[in-house]
Amino acid sequence: MNRIDRIESIRLEGMLPKVFENESIPNSEVWRSDVVFRRGERWLVEAASGGGKSSLCAYMFGSRTDYLGRLYFNDVDVSGIPVAEWQRLRRCHIAYLPQELALFPELTALENIRLKASLAGDVQEERIAGWLKELGIDSRADYPVGRMSIGQQQRVAIIRSICQPFDFIVLDEPVSHLDEENNRIAARMVMREADRQGAGIITTSVGNRLLLDSLKTIKL
Amino acid sequence: MIINRLLRKNMSPARIAGFVLSNFIGLAIVVAGLQFFQDVKSIYSDDDGFIKKDYLVVNKKVTSANTVEGKAAAFSAEEISDLERQPWVRKVGRFSSVDYRVTASVQTGGRGMSTYMFFESIPSEFIDVAGSQWGYRPGSGEVPIIISKDYLTLYNFGFASSAGLPQLSESFMGGVPLRLHVASEDGIRSADFSGRVVGFSNRLNTILVPQEFMEWSNERFGSSSVKDASRLIVDVSSPGDVAIGSYIEEHGLEVAGDKRSSQASFLLNVITGIILAVGVVITVLSFFILMLSLTVLMEKNREKIHTLLQLGYPLRRVGAPYRALIAWSCAGAYLLALAVVYGFRLSYLHQLEGLGGGHGNLWLAPAAGLGLTAVIVVLNSLAVGRRVERAWRISR
Repeated sequence: MNRIDRIESIRLEGMLPKVFENESIPNSEVWRSDVVFRRGERWLVEAASGGGKSSLCAYMFGSRTDYLGRLYFNDVDVSGIPVAEWQRLRRCHIAYLPQELALFPELTALENIRLKASLAGDVQEERIAGWLKELGIDSRADYPVGRMSIGQQQRVAIIRSICQPFDFIVLDEPVSHLDEENNRIAARMVMREADRQGAGIITTSVGNRLLLDSLKTIKL
Repeated sequence: MIINRLLRKNMSPARIAGFVLSNFIGLAIVVAGLQFFQDVKSIYSDDDGFIKKDYLVVNKKVTSANTVEGKAAAFSAEEISDLERQPWVRKVGRFSSVDYRVTASVQTGGRGMSTYMFFESIPSEFIDVAGSQWGYRPGSGEVPIIISKDYLTLYNFGFASSAGLPQLSESFMGGVPLRLHVASEDGIRSADFSGRVVGFSNRLNTILVPQEFMEWSNERFGSSSVKDASRLIVDVSSPGDVAIGSYIEEHGLEVAGDKRSSQASFLLNVITGIILAVGVVITVLSFFILMLSLTVLMEKNREKIHTLLQLGYPLRRVGAPYRALIAWSCAGAYLLALAVVYGFRLSYLHQLEGLGGGHGNLWLAPAAGLGLTAVIVVLNSLAVGRRVERAWRISR
């Protein structure tokens, strides 16, 4: 297998979650189709609830493999990527904000973020402090995440997802509990960080979408 | 470290303590049992100071045919060379016996006692007596003697008590000079010697004199007829070898030895075996306690493990706190067991040294404990690795 030094593209080839195998899925531009997401592009995957968008995210992140068809990073079929290599990709090439946030409720906001940031090497304390301030949760930095509102937790998770090197960032319903103001701030932050790294953004939404500029939309 | 704090959550100190305690008990029994065995073994294996335990005294079984035909059950030259060819034989020595008459007399408490006797000898290299005490200079009037302990027992508890004679202690016998009258068959040549008992042997059923004396006296008083050796002393490479037993059986031979000591050492082996089995069973159970504790702990923390892996933490790093837990608790149980065994050994060592033991190998038992600990650490660490990997894909 070729070592992946940079994910230039994520390609879906006739993919379908196994649970949909015997169902017809009309109007889907993703399932049973060929789709290519390229580095530097911004995508919104629009879906109805139950359409399999979280499944798609998990497939792209290697957490699940219960699909038909093929998924490629560059020319590499991801089903052949060994566990240790996945861990390296997760540290350096693909960032992910799961819908359920996956924060540790017993840790503070700052600890949750540092847990991720320390993996990339040096913790960029000033940048993290800047992001916390930008999203208006700097006063909550030392609160246990479990005692925060969902909206605040979402903001912590957004910061955590961008404090690593990445070629693609996958954001699953990142702003479902954010007001428009915070949505815009978060979108700006993600775009700024993705542009800085030359990365692609893939975000999903069932309604309240991340307000990114020049967004390509695809229906699930 | 935040990650360690996260992963140790839900850890039950009681469960870990339960493991450490049971592992400690198991290991302590195994190590103590082995160490005690090592220390006691020397009492039985070094039962005779005069010949090493690797030496077997072998003779042919005496059958009715020997009695009827008047032919001694002796070894022929071919039989000896066949024995020498066996892979477990280092060297073979022949017993030589006297070719003349010997009368021994002793004065005890004013009463004299006299008896016909015989001597035998084996090559000096088979005998472990301090050099100055053993040996004979031709012409000297003093002869060192090693007597079978059985003879003294026979005299003290059989003959002396029924005949109203005083009992003799080993040290007394060592101090009393034995007057030996040696005469040729025809009675023409004779001489007197003073015999000095240098020791009593458990394993030599004979009266032993130095080979030099045997050669010198046979030449002077013997009839110079050559006799086949009726007994052999064999230096074997490993006394426990089954090949020895079957060879002895096949050729109708007998091995002389202290039966009591071999029974005691057999019992010692059996008891040690039982104790070790109990210790190993407890250790194995403790292994499962640790395995189950880790399973429960990691199952409770599965969500956290999954999330950490999702953040990109290497599998090794996520398993590390659990491996550290295994290593520390096992090391603790092992060191505790060693300390207790050390104390236990101190408590029995004094008495054991009085019995001639206590000089066992000091490394074998701790090494065995370490080996068991290593097995527990390695198997559980591997299980941790597998469980981390299983948490990799799906959070539930």
